[in-house]
Amino acid sequence: MQLRQVRVWDLGVRGFHWGLVICVAIGAVTGFLAGRDWLGIHVIAGSTIAALLIFRLIWGWLGSRYALFQSFPLSLRAVRHHLSPAGRGEHHLGHNPLGAVMVYALIGVLALILLTGAVALGGVVKQGPLAFLMSFATGIQARSLHNALAIGLLVMIAAHLGGVVLESWRGRQNLARAMVTGLKESAEAPQSAPVAGHPWIAGLAVAVAAAVLVPGTLALNALPGRGVPPPALDAAYVRECGGCHFAYPPSLAPAQTWVAVMDGLDDHFGENATIDSATATVLRGWLADNSSEHWDTRPAVTLRTTDPAQPQRITAAPAWTRFHRRIAEAVFKSQAVGAKGSCGACHHDASTGRFDPQQIAIPAKAFQ
Amino acid sequence: MIKMIPVLSFAVLCASATLAISAPGAGQQTVLDRYAAEAKAAAPAFAGFSAERGKAFFLAHPASGKPDTPSCTTCHTADARQIGHSRAGKEIGPLAVSATPDRFTDIAKTEKWFTRNCDSVLGRACTAAEKGDFITFMVSQ
Repeated sequence: MQLRQVRVWDLGVRGFHWGLVICVAIGAVTGFLAGRDWLGIHVIAGSTIAALLIFRLIWGWLGSRYALFQSFPLSLRAVRHHLSPAGRGEHHLGHNPLGAVMVYALIGVLALILLTGAVALGGVVKQGPLAFLMSFATGIQARSLHNALAIGLLVMIAAHLGGVVLESWRGRQNLARAMVTGLKESAEAPQSAPVAGHPWIAGLAVAVAAAVLVPGTLALNALPGRGVPPPALDAAYVRECGGCHFAYPPSLAPAQTWVAVMDGLDDHFGENATIDSATATVLRGWLADNSSEHWDTRPAVTLRTTDPAQPQRITAAPAWTRFHRRIAEAVFKSQAVGAKGSCGACHHDASTGRFDPQQIAIPAKAFQ
Repeated sequence: MIKMIPVLSFAVLCASATLAISAPGAGQQTVLDRYAAEAKAAAPAFAGFSAERGKAFFLAHPASGKPDTPSCTTCHTADARQIGHSRAGKEIGPLAVSATPDRFTDIAKTEKWFTRNCDSVLGRACTAAEKGDFITFMVSQ
């Protein structure tokens, strides 16, 4: 029988597949290799994957023949048959039963990665649609899960590529090229009326989903983050304390630290920094009300544990040292930064207490 | 004699211009008057402030206060017209009145900083005479 070129993968399937390849690659590189300041790109990659998955779910109902979920049902019996010697000769134009398992597994794991990513983003850095809901502790757990799932995804991608090679060899066809051109060679007789799909209805469904999800997500993004302090600092605090050093948001240290600071202003890190008692009373009250125990940001939670040897020094806290371990001493001492306590020299949102990864920019002059 | 008038008036102009630069503004004068009264009360022989003594005081290296701040110049640098840096890395506006016109115009702020920094650098309070000399020097800068 003569081999015929058959259009198997429609534009929707191919666009989804290669879009996913690009976004997963960006997500993997920014997630595993790049520093914290690449979080913005990482989140964009994740959001795009979410959009691609939603499109694929719609296309699974409204796409062309081989895009439809019903054309590749999840069936263990079919997998067993496919792997048996009897199944070897059978030709599958669309996903074979093993490929179908991989498709659903990939979609499921990707969805879980997106979910745990959104929880981690909300809890750990108080960004995104779940920032209003998630605690830091939950965010950290979600991040561990997110990391484990991402490693799992890499393993699955390796298995997927192995499967492509294996099935290409078993079926004597180039499956990778088919995902580019959409065409496969078939010896079978042309199927009865090919199902062309409903691109217009699918487009409408995508538009409706976008019209609900995009404003919804933006509205959730705009809600105040859980346990995020108000950005404004007390005016007297900024005047009195910010006169000599960066006005550290009180969420960066526990109440105990602030009490010790206020009690020891006559020898404040080696200088006399006394203030009049009326102002001191105001500041004590404000610091007590806004110390790290009251907030749930990453700095508030992690810097709550101070260095027992110098509990007043925020930059001596174990978490501070860990976060800054890759920064050379010379950068802190440079004129552009000045000292370890000059948070605002590199963290552009430092006075809000948020310390977003995307807000870090070490001044170029600090490296000269 | 008539010919001398332009020369004389030029000289007067120059002198007054020089005076205008080094004379304290109204704000600084109020602060200086207060320190002068205190100095006179402490020592009836007080005969006015001296920019020279203020300069020597500013540039001295007493090292009798806290170890990290042995002198005024530790943070303010030896040039009062330059920007200084606190030990925490924050910029300190120049002390020289020519560079920071509102320096030493607010008695509460002036007292706050003398109280803190005299203790940090000298390990004691400054006398009114020292404060007045210091401000007089900064006014001349």
